[in-house]
Amino acid sequence: MRSFSRLLMHCLFACSLAISIVPQSALAIDSQNLPDVPPGYVSIKTVDPIRLVGYTVGDVIEREVILTIKAPYKLVETSLPIIGYEKRYKGQVIGIELKDISHSEEVNDSSTTHHIHLAYQVFTNNVVAKNAALGPEYINLVNTKNHQDLVKYRIPSLDIAISPIAIFGQVKIENNMSQLMGPLELSNKKESNWLKASIALLVISLLGLLYILGMRAWLPLMGGSFAKAYRALRKLPNTPEGLKQAVSKVHEALNATATVSVFSNNLDDFITEKPSFAPIKSEIQQFFGLSRHVYFEPSAIHDTGSDPRLWLQQFVRRCRDCERGLTPAPLTQHSGQ
Amino acid sequence: MSDRQLADWRNHALALESEVNKVVVGQQTPVRLITTSIFARGHVLLEGDVGVGKTTLLRAFTRGIGGGYQRIEGTIDLMPNDLVYHTYLGEDGKPHVSPGPLLMSGENLSVFFFNEINRARPQVHSLLLRVMAERSLSAFNSEHYFPHMIVFADRNQVEKEETFEIPSAARDRFMMEIPIVVPNEDTIMESLVFDTRFHNVDALVDTVKAEVLQFDELNAFSSVIQNNITTSDTLKKYALNLWKATKAPLDFGIKVSGVDMNRLVLAGASPRGMSMMLRAARVNAWLNNRTAVLPEDIHAVFHSTVAHRLVFSPVYEMRRTEIAREMLSGIVNAVAAP
Repeated sequence: MRSFSRLLMHCLFACSLAISIVPQSALAIDSQNLPDVPPGYVSIKTVDPIRLVGYTVGDVIEREVILTIKAPYKLVETSLPIIGYEKRYKGQVIGIELKDISHSEEVNDSSTTHHIHLAYQVFTNNVVAKNAALGPEYINLVNTKNHQDLVKYRIPSLDIAISPIAIFGQVKIENNMSQLMGPLELSNKKESNWLKASIALLVISLLGLLYILGMRAWLPLMGGSFAKAYRALRKLPNTPEGLKQAVSKVHEALNATATVSVFSNNLDDFITEKPSFAPIKSEIQQFFGLSRHVYFEPSAIHDTGSDPRLWLQQFVRRCRDCERGLTPAPLTQHSGQ
Repeated sequence: MSDRQLADWRNHALALESEVNKVVVGQQTPVRLITTSIFARGHVLLEGDVGVGKTTLLRAFTRGIGGGYQRIEGTIDLMPNDLVYHTYLGEDGKPHVSPGPLLMSGENLSVFFFNEINRARPQVHSLLLRVMAERSLSAFNSEHYFPHMIVFADRNQVEKEETFEIPSAARDRFMMEIPIVVPNEDTIMESLVFDTRFHNVDALVDTVKAEVLQFDELNAFSSVIQNNITTSDTLKKYALNLWKATKAPLDFGIKVSGVDMNRLVLAGASPRGMSMMLRAARVNAWLNNRTAVLPEDIHAVFHSTVAHRLVFSPVYEMRRTEIAREMLSGIVNAVAAP
């Protein structure tokens, strides 16, 4: 008993489903088989969307059709497109459904103007762009003077382009036409890396050039002859040979500063040319005494103290101060003064 | 012993300088250079205008060092034998021969002054150069020696008429060429004109203390100086660089204004010239109470011992004095020691 009632329920459901589908498909087939309306009775104007490309699944496209139908023909309103109807092309669902429709009319003496607002929704997509169309839609007209005169009117389709959302899998990026990806850009990473490397190289080169032009000193004040001599002196060994080299370095610095060879007999000329060294004139004379002892006359007595190397370092530092236009740093008690 | 000897002689030398500076004022540098040449045993070429005190200077030195002083004037008709002997008719009516300036003082000749040497003929130059080089002379069938002689010659660079330019080989025999210029200090110039002390040269020279030095001991003591005053390796290198710079100044970046340095120098200083420079530098070091030569000692004698030895292109000979001065100053400025 229970199985019988279940079978009956299934049968009723199937019948109701068949009844709900058959009239619609039969109407659609009928509309396309009807003869076309004679020319001159219907004029059409459409308001189409501006953008006709780049649609993808979920998009809603709205279109307005304005039909003016002259008497004696009149629109059969039941022939208007049905919401949710799946359009097919060559048996395949094209994936664009009518989502909404609204209709209004203005009746005149000799004609009636119909404003049909159609809203389609896209339910399809592709890995590449593909063509699609909204419509065509067929509506039926009936001759009010002859109800047997049933004709159809074809609302022309609107071609649009469907764009992909995203591409899955390994594909050529050029084929991914999704609008969500934005315009395809050429990669400038390689050039960018080269540019960064070149800029880095340029900066290093400029720093190197600055170092060379700055007489191998990072700061302008470090490039003076005595500044270099001071740095060189600190690296020399504390031996008699180191002392000789140190004295030689100071001579070189003096000569470079004066642009001539400076000796004790033209020291006054040097001071005249470089008055900033005037405060250490007596020390320069002491230096010449040390130079005499080191290079020319070992028996000569110099007054630079027991540690001439240390005295020399402090002397060069004071020379460096004079070179920079500063007040020379005072000598310490170890200097022999 | 040498140290004491060196000190004693230094005191005498400085005393001599002091004496000479009393009678020839404003000439400290020439006096120091002549003192140097006396102890270095080198001949001297004096350069200066007429009446600037060259003769007075030499007579004062001669009185100070003792020995014979002879002088001869260079003229265009002067012949070599005029330096050796005179011929004349004596009171007895017979011809007589008497010794000329060179022979008159015999071996005691200490200073021979040849005034205006560039007016004498090359033949006379030739004889004098032999005497200068060998300090001996063949005359009257015998050899005459002048072991203590120093020749002082003078030339006037301004007047060129009836003169014979001293060739470079002859100039090279002189240890020094010393310019004698009139001092430009007003007080000195005023005293030279108005101080009657300077009007009588004989009396002026007589005020110099006689025989401060012993002329016949100078040769021996000169050797003592040369043997005791040392030169370090650094100084030798410095002197060599100076020498090279006189030959190729452009290599040391030396330029003289208005002169094509590629064409200027035909010959730099000679080896004899450089050795004379070092002899003089040693004496200068000794006079300054040093036991070794310093670059400053070389500087003190560099111009006077080298300038007259440089051989320039003929086109630059007319500007010789100023070019040599600028070039040698450039060398001293360019060459470093150490």
